[in-house]
Amino acid sequence: MTASFAIVFAVVYAIAYVICVESNYALFTYHPALGEFGLGVQRAKDGPAMYWYGWMATSGIVASAAGGLAMLLPEAAARRLWPASTWIVALAAMVAFCWLLKGFFFR
Amino acid sequence: MNSWTALLIVHGLLAVALLGALTHQVLSVWVPARKPAVSFVGRFRAVPGASYANAVVVLYLLTALLGAVIYAEYRISVRTVLQQLEMRSAEGAFELKEHFAAIGLGLLPVYWYYWRQPLAPEHARTRAMLTSILAFTVWFSFLVGHVLNNIRGFGV
Repeated sequence: MTASFAIVFAVVYAIAYVICVESNYALFTYHPALGEFGLGVQRAKDGPAMYWYGWMATSGIVASAAGGLAMLLPEAAARRLWPASTWIVALAAMVAFCWLLKGFFFR
Repeated sequence: MNSWTALLIVHGLLAVALLGALTHQVLSVWVPARKPAVSFVGRFRAVPGASYANAVVVLYLLTALLGAVIYAEYRISVRTVLQQLEMRSAEGAFELKEHFAAIGLGLLPVYWYYWRQPLAPEHARTRAMLTSILAFTVWFSFLVGHVLNNIRGFGV
């Protein structure tokens, strides 16, 4: 693994995950009551539909692709990638979820 | 004891091991011991942080995997009860836990990369922040999971 892959993966994963949750871009849906998986976003059948696994899968694929592309960057460009962006973006994503879910805690 | 309870206990035990490793590491990066430690706290922060990195990655993956398995049962038998009881804060806390844990998963590659030996001194701040975020995530997840299990356990 290179620094380029690690940095870009972390940044893109966090951003993609927030977008996937907000826009519901789940690669697959799990129906826990039925024990069934379905491709893409599906409505609840018998019991709830779970998208969390699908959101992580979508984010993982997007981040892997971006990280793979980052490995092709010329060395001069790769050196400009900012390691601190990894934790800053992750922290921002966590704060974003606190904001998005504030309705659970404040009415 | 049903199998969900057994899985939850193993999940909790893995989380305890992960908590220990990450807490050692966080203290070792933010307040490293400068001289031979004699007190409990001093020895706690005197560990070589890098030696924990591989264990943290493996434990995080295993804990998250088991958590993901248990999550399906939570959605069926616990979350519905929280909704019926209108325990919105508890439900929201679990939602945060799932998202924080997912974000933590995405940080594992870069966390592992910056903890590789030999440690680059210029990336000390990045290492410290990544480790702190993971430690916060695991502590938060552990406490939320514990409280939710007190509200409604799988064995009921």
